[in-house]
Amino acid sequence: MEKQHEHIVRSYEEELSLLNNKIAKMGGLAEQVLGQSFDALERRDPELAAATINEDEAIDTLEKEIEEQAVVMIARRQPLAYDLRQIMAALRISSELERIGDLGKNIAKRAVAVVSEQQPKQLALGLKHMGELALGQLKEVLDAFIERDADRALKVWYKDEEIDAMYNSLFRELLTYMMEDPRNIGLCTHLLFGAKNIERIGDHATNIAETVYYLVHGRPITDQRPKGDTTSSTPVALKRSAG
Amino acid sequence: MSLAIHTDVKEPAETPEELAKLAEKVSMRRLNFYYGAYRALSDISVNLYQNKVTAFIGPSGCGKSTLLRILNRIYDLYPNQRADGEVLLDGANVLSPKQDLNLLRAKVGMVFQKPTPFPMTIYENIAFGLRLYEQLPKADLDARIEDSLKRSALWDEVKDKLDASGLSLSGGQQQRLCIARTVAIRPEVILLDEPCSALDPISTAKIEELIDVLKRDYTIAIVTHNMQQAARTSDFTAFMYLGELVEFDETTKIFTNPKQQRTQDYITGRFG
Repeated sequence: MEKQHEHIVRSYEEELSLLNNKIAKMGGLAEQVLGQSFDALERRDPELAAATINEDEAIDTLEKEIEEQAVVMIARRQPLAYDLRQIMAALRISSELERIGDLGKNIAKRAVAVVSEQQPKQLALGLKHMGELALGQLKEVLDAFIERDADRALKVWYKDEEIDAMYNSLFRELLTYMMEDPRNIGLCTHLLFGAKNIERIGDHATNIAETVYYLVHGRPITDQRPKGDTTSSTPVALKRSAG
Repeated sequence: MSLAIHTDVKEPAETPEELAKLAEKVSMRRLNFYYGAYRALSDISVNLYQNKVTAFIGPSGCGKSTLLRILNRIYDLYPNQRADGEVLLDGANVLSPKQDLNLLRAKVGMVFQKPTPFPMTIYENIAFGLRLYEQLPKADLDARIEDSLKRSALWDEVKDKLDASGLSLSGGQQQRLCIARTVAIRPEVILLDEPCSALDPISTAKIEELIDVLKRDYTIAIVTHNMQQAARTSDFTAFMYLGELVEFDETTKIFTNPKQQRTQDYITGRFG
């Protein structure tokens, strides 16, 4: 569609702008929490982790504000068509971002839990890459939302497969470490949950991508969603230890 | 407490297969209308589907009331107003000079923005029109009047005062009396020209409920300035602008994802 005119009633236009800006702000905070939690884990920095955990509160506050504003706008304005989709999108995206914030907070908590142990280089690298990928997806999908670019959102949607693939291999590696030496179980369990959180962050970014597509086109993506996470059905090989 | 689950609630949107099966009750083809030299409608082609409600929306002067007035040829009462093109009612062109106008207006009833009860009793308001079309014995006449008042959700309020003047009713009741008057002669199509503009919200809600019930037996066209009313009550919506049909589609699609920018600008209040 061509560029829209502004609403005749200016306050309506301003309210929609405000909603948009709050999502952008929430997105920026989520990116920050994620980035910091990955750093805290990689650098074994409990202070950074603690600061990150506190920052999640601002994300939760914004979600409540957005929800309240959306409900009031629906009651007062009876939005239609694109306006309605904008408000629905704001509701959905704020919910996804709130979950992403929580997952980031959880990763920061685990960074504190494992701070006393040296992470095996291979695992640390795997987690770092996975984290970078997820953070990249989040940034990209938020840009797609700001720009109202459905094609960009679609690319994020397809790329989630890469995160799933990395998660699959990390999962197997962590299992191997745990089976090799029970003393690794504590660290690896935390890292496993951390990896799962990152995989979930990827899923939430994909959900946001679906919402952006719907916002722009007024209909959902019709393709089959890429589901590459096979860990639920990964068999565990029981090895009898010699002696 | 038991939950009553309504199994007769229809899914809102029609599938393509269902759409293809819809019967065209009224079909307007390449319709043009002139007030003297002024062309008020340009090349309108649109259908009213059987037992569906079609809403006509658009800014003032777009031609929606003009269009409605063609369907029962009420413009014929005025000089210098003419229509060309086709309006097919069950396949027969009502614009044909051979069309019996009284018969047409019995088949296609109309309710106006301002309630127009006759200065007669409630009973006579309905009996008057009936007598023009049918010779009914008193018992049958009584039954028909009761039936039409029930169909218009007015019976309970007036059954004990049928000989009271129609003018003594409230605005909402008067409008329902006009609807009762229309349905009494068993039309097939009902035209509603901003039927709730002069009514309070409760009366409006009662009429909207009535429209929902009436469409089981009649084909309905409604002109309305109230976007939300069009969204609530209709199955199909036509957006008109400056005498042209800009977009026509299922109501759910028009109000969630219209195809034309002009439609979206109008319904979201960006028209300027």
